[in-house]
Amino acid sequence: MTTDTLVSRTTGILGLIETHQKTLLVLFLAILIGIPAYANNYVLEVLANTWFYVILCLGLNIVVGYAGLLDLGYAAFFAVGAYTTGILTSRFGFNFWLTIPVAMAFATLAGVIIGGPTLRLRSDYLAIVTLGFGEIVRIAARNLKITGGASGLIGIDRPHFFGTELNQISHYYFVFLALALLAIFASYRLQHSRLGRAWQYVREDEDAAEAMGINRVAIKLYAYIIGAVFAGIAGCFYAAKMTAISPETFTFSQSILILLGVVFGGMGKIPGVVCGAGALVLFPEVFRGIGSMRLLVFAVVMLLVMLYRPQGIWPAQKS
Amino acid sequence: MRKVFSVCLILAGLFMVMSNAAFATDELKIGIMVPTTGSEATYGKDMENAILLAVSEINAKGGIAGKTIVTVTADDACDPQQAAAAASKLVSENVNAVVGGYCSGATLPTLKIYGDAGIPIVLTAANSTKLVSANPGNTFLVNSTGDDQAITAVNLFKQKGVKKLAVIHQGDGYSEDLAKLTEKKGKEAGIEIVAMEVVNKGEQDHSALVTRLKSKSPDAVFWTAYYADGALVIKQLRQNGYMKLIAVGDGSNSPKLMEIAGKAAEGVFCFSNPTVEYLPSAKAFGENYKKKFNQEPGPYSALSYDGMNLLADAIKRAGSADKAAIVKALKATKDFNGIAGPIVFTPENKLARSNFVVLVAKGANWELNK
Repeated sequence: MTTDTLVSRTTGILGLIETHQKTLLVLFLAILIGIPAYANNYVLEVLANTWFYVILCLGLNIVVGYAGLLDLGYAAFFAVGAYTTGILTSRFGFNFWLTIPVAMAFATLAGVIIGGPTLRLRSDYLAIVTLGFGEIVRIAARNLKITGGASGLIGIDRPHFFGTELNQISHYYFVFLALALLAIFASYRLQHSRLGRAWQYVREDEDAAEAMGINRVAIKLYAYIIGAVFAGIAGCFYAAKMTAISPETFTFSQSILILLGVVFGGMGKIPGVVCGAGALVLFPEVFRGIGSMRLLVFAVVMLLVMLYRPQGIWPAQKS
Repeated sequence: MRKVFSVCLILAGLFMVMSNAAFATDELKIGIMVPTTGSEATYGKDMENAILLAVSEINAKGGIAGKTIVTVTADDACDPQQAAAAASKLVSENVNAVVGGYCSGATLPTLKIYGDAGIPIVLTAANSTKLVSANPGNTFLVNSTGDDQAITAVNLFKQKGVKKLAVIHQGDGYSEDLAKLTEKKGKEAGIEIVAMEVVNKGEQDHSALVTRLKSKSPDAVFWTAYYADGALVIKQLRQNGYMKLIAVGDGSNSPKLMEIAGKAAEGVFCFSNPTVEYLPSAKAFGENYKKKFNQEPGPYSALSYDGMNLLADAIKRAGSADKAAIVKALKATKDFNGIAGPIVFTPENKLARSNFVVLVAKGANWELNK
């Protein structure tokens, strides 16, 4: 079989999925909601982790996929959310739910801080600045007293939801599933909005977009801010789930991992990014049985996918 | 067709993950949680090897009360998320107990997961003081926590008749914490802290610091940071005529210190975790380890070996594989003698004594201080 037929066949299957979208979606959703009744904690932990990465990847997809701005420091926004919740609940006794709007505000601020000075930069330069930003946030968290320094924060309160304390992994499975669905919905609406089209325009040709009356500066800032808010909210719930956070979670490799999910799945395409995020978490777990070789297998699989599907598993169709 | 195939493949993968939980009554299942991938993989592998060595020795002697030990290794990759997944996996596999834990940050969130399942866990390397406060009751630390090093240091200073102590750190979390703790413990022991200095990383000329220190005439200087800069400080202290006691923290525990400082390092004291080379009772273990794995044991091998043997001992004393009984037996540990020293727990389940050993620089090597 040649590569061409392989590609066209897989594209055919993806097309088939797209035509029966609604039925498949309902079926899929029913399965997802039913899983906790049958699966053990380990499976739930892994799936909750998957939904978590779906949120992060979709958030980064807005910046990288829609607006075409390379971001190598995305973990910083996630750190902002996680630390906001961590600090407010463990040091100031805030209710968990109240920390979410605060985290969103801080994430917005972080988005403006990174977006503002970098607006005139393109590609490589932008990548370097975002990388630096990511490292600054991590190193600041490592050295500040309020963030607990190198050993981080512990004893973050578990949130209550209508009287039930969210302390089981099945609770977090549903929490992250709901957030992931929300993220998918928001991404979908954004993509088909005026803003979404403007992002696409700026991505394809910045000068032409500006000539057509698109406010380039505002558009790019929106992309950063919205992407940051996605990660910030995910970070809040991450802190609640883990009850402990440390700077080691927000390393450069974490940013790369999220970017990998986006590129691997297919930049700019929601189902693609969801698949990419899933692959990111599921691959190393499914191959846990083979021990320390699993990351090697993961790398080989990734290389093969990139060789045969350079646009990602499920790329966006360019019209 | 293709679609059905790929769906089957995914389902098969999921089943592979889920169907791992096998049961057998004549077996004891012990989980090993260490990083076997990522930046800390070497340490994790060393720990795993030591645990496996202990297990094979126990099984060769007929196991525990007729039950053989089987192990499951779960890779935490030194990452909190992966550690949570690894811990959930061990819980799902119904392990009777868990041993391991290298990175404190990754180990922290797992304590609750094991705690909820009532599974006893013996931590053989991770030693952040936060682990003590986050302990839900089932966790036992066989490595000394950071503040124990300060106790060992102060004991040495007192033994050497030090009245005035100068402490130097580098302003990073680790060395500053150790410096502050030493200050506190030293004051409690009646030692006057005449100087608390900060040196920037990578600085070459320490003459100002040396002059300042000499004017305060301390009986001992304690460097709590790392060897690269520490060696320079030691060299310049000696060159300027400071001839009294110098001690360095475990961050400087490297032969490179002598390489850089040369003769000036002679007689410098250093505090170290109990590694195999400095433990007289670990000789047999070191040889068996080399024979089995064809490499030198790592820095936490001795403690991991002890941790596994302690667990086996506790299960034997508990008389059953019941998790709560094992926790109770671990808590009651009295006269367990490991190769890294005796193990007794405080009410908080941390090691009751400081297990830091005191080394002294002799030529190009560190030797155990007697």
